[in-house]
Amino acid sequence: MGGETMETPEEPRHESVMDTGAEQLGKTYAQALLGAASKAGLTDKVVDQLNQLVDQVLSRNEGLAAAFASPRIDEEEKCRVIDRLFADSYDPMLVRFLKVMASRGRLGQLAAVREGVLALYDELSGQVLAKVSTAVPLDETLRSKIAERLGQTLGKKVRLQEVVDESLIGGMVVRVGDTVFDNSVSGRLNAVAKRARDGFSSRLSEKFEQLSQ
Amino acid sequence: MKFSSDEIASVLQQEIENFDSKIDVREVGTVLEVGDGIARVYGLSGVMAGEMVEFPNGAIGLAFNLEENSVGVIILGDYLTIKEGDEVKALGTLLSVPAGDAVVGRVLDPLGNPLDGKGPVQTDSTRPVEIIATGVAERQPVTEPMQTGIKAIDAMTPIGRGQRELIIGDRKTGKTAIAIDAILNQKGKGVKCFYIAIGQKDSSVASVVDVLEKYGAMEYTTVITAGASSPAPLQYMAPYAGTAMAEYFMFGGGHALVVYDDLSKQATAYRQMSLLMRRPPGREAFPGDVFYCHSRLLERSSKLSDELGGGSITSLPIIETLEGEVSAYIPTNVISITDGQIYVQPDLFFSGVRPAMNPGISVSRVGGAAQIKAMKKVAGGLRLDLAAFRALEAFAQLGTDLDPATQAQLDRGYRMVELLKQPQYQPLSVAEQVVSLYAGTKGFLDDVEIKQVQQWEKDFLQFVNDKHGGLLTEMTESGALSDEIVEKIESVIADFKAGYKPAE
Repeated sequence: MGGETMETPEEPRHESVMDTGAEQLGKTYAQALLGAASKAGLTDKVVDQLNQLVDQVLSRNEGLAAAFASPRIDEEEKCRVIDRLFADSYDPMLVRFLKVMASRGRLGQLAAVREGVLALYDELSGQVLAKVSTAVPLDETLRSKIAERLGQTLGKKVRLQEVVDESLIGGMVVRVGDTVFDNSVSGRLNAVAKRARDGFSSRLSEKFEQLSQ
Repeated sequence: MKFSSDEIASVLQQEIENFDSKIDVREVGTVLEVGDGIARVYGLSGVMAGEMVEFPNGAIGLAFNLEENSVGVIILGDYLTIKEGDEVKALGTLLSVPAGDAVVGRVLDPLGNPLDGKGPVQTDSTRPVEIIATGVAERQPVTEPMQTGIKAIDAMTPIGRGQRELIIGDRKTGKTAIAIDAILNQKGKGVKCFYIAIGQKDSSVASVVDVLEKYGAMEYTTVITAGASSPAPLQYMAPYAGTAMAEYFMFGGGHALVVYDDLSKQATAYRQMSLLMRRPPGREAFPGDVFYCHSRLLERSSKLSDELGGGSITSLPIIETLEGEVSAYIPTNVISITDGQIYVQPDLFFSGVRPAMNPGISVSRVGGAAQIKAMKKVAGGLRLDLAAFRALEAFAQLGTDLDPATQAQLDRGYRMVELLKQPQYQPLSVAEQVVSLYAGTKGFLDDVEIKQVQQWEKDFLQFVNDKHGGLLTEMTESGALSDEIVEKIESVIADFKAGYKPAE
């Protein structure tokens, strides 16, 4: 899983409203799904298919996503839809999982479950997601260099998520988990500006006499 | 005033040349929601309780609630320009404020930012706002007096250096006035004073600063204010910040006096924050740890052992009661934490007894240990005498005929009450208090008209200062009331009375 989805600058710079309740729920379901999948030795397959389901099917069919989330459509109907749409193309385990979610009225939280699965899967397989923001798009050599270098430092296999952000001017900002390594030109300029401002005000009071005429 | 642009350019050039370009590593989170001075932040997974965080607009926050999926942050600054999705940066340090001589004479906010237009506080020393108070082994008993300059207090509820004495009473009963007089009286005594205004009107704080300046007290006083319009987190932090500044002097072997005006408003601010953070409400909707909030603050006032320099912080917390209700939650809490309380009452205040202290229910648990010997001698029976007088007064109102002895006792009582009145901003030295109280308790005032007592005292003290300044110095130096001094005092009183004619 190399370079993943490429975010465009038009999208909001942050993941919009985060629902910590949904996150908690997603984590719990993800744990159950991965537990069952690893027992059956199907982890990679199930994760891939879940990714595909969320990224390609649900995000492109708003009607389906709405139907999954709607409490007005009852469990049997949802199960029937799941069977008809996914029974052939997806692993039976994932289909069963979807039905379990349907029976508990949680189908609307599929995206949160996917996030949970990814996080947990990364943890289990010793991978880590690094979000790399640069002013210009990365080319292949740079990409592999960054991944290799980060992998050495962090001691884990690194998945890169690339963001192009022109406001950085140059350099790059890498975010791993909640830690940000900022070596961008704009970040450095801000730091210089702050330092000059602070230093200047203290110097100003120190040698007020000298500076004023 | 003109600045030389060459000089400025060279300063800037130096700053840029010295700039060390390191990769900036920071722990970050994202604002989920913000409002009412608090923010919920997603991320910041490694942040510790009480750690400082920074918002993009430069505002500082404190990690207050660590929850499973988010961090509750209290914002000490402008929260109106913080938006959902803003990046929050953990700073990896605890909140600290500037300390040292540079803060003396300043009016600051709880973060140490200037509010007096005199520019930033220039100091290299800072102290953490929250520390754990010194332990048992690092302390010693309170024995040194901390004179407030108010006769009624120094005589009946003496305060020692390192003590916590609560001033409690309804609104408009002169609580702040007592504290301000205590600050004014520290002039020339080497005590640094800190007046911490919490949730007060900015106009009241301005008038306090004005008074302090007028009487020359700003030379040794720092005013820390989080006014009524400051966000609740700042009001909550103010007492801790002020105490941190005072601790600089205490640990340096000096003495400090801290006035918290008032802690009931701080408790209200803390309640607001806790409720917004969804901590469970308890009695009067205060959170469960509001007691700890005050106890850990007041525990930091102490008298250090000689090995640590023997410094001290004396604190005068103020609590405002509603309709004299001392059994409400916060008043009972703070009463139980402090080493005594000065109880001021509206009825006394309006009947002209000012300071309106009720000696019957005001106590100082340190007691005589914090008085000089001379004061102990003259003030020994004062509290009991006044209590007896109050009982007798109630009885006398029934209109019964009294025998001459009772009548005499009653007359003495009226004069003592009159003598204990004291105008604002006129603290008296301990020697002056002793001679004045001596005259009252020994009956030298019995032939003075009740209405004339205050004038008599004023003229008498003037006379003593003018003609017998040596006696006052001698008393201050020896501290005791030897027979020789008693003789001198009596002769001075006789001398004064012989030539005194009350003004009509």
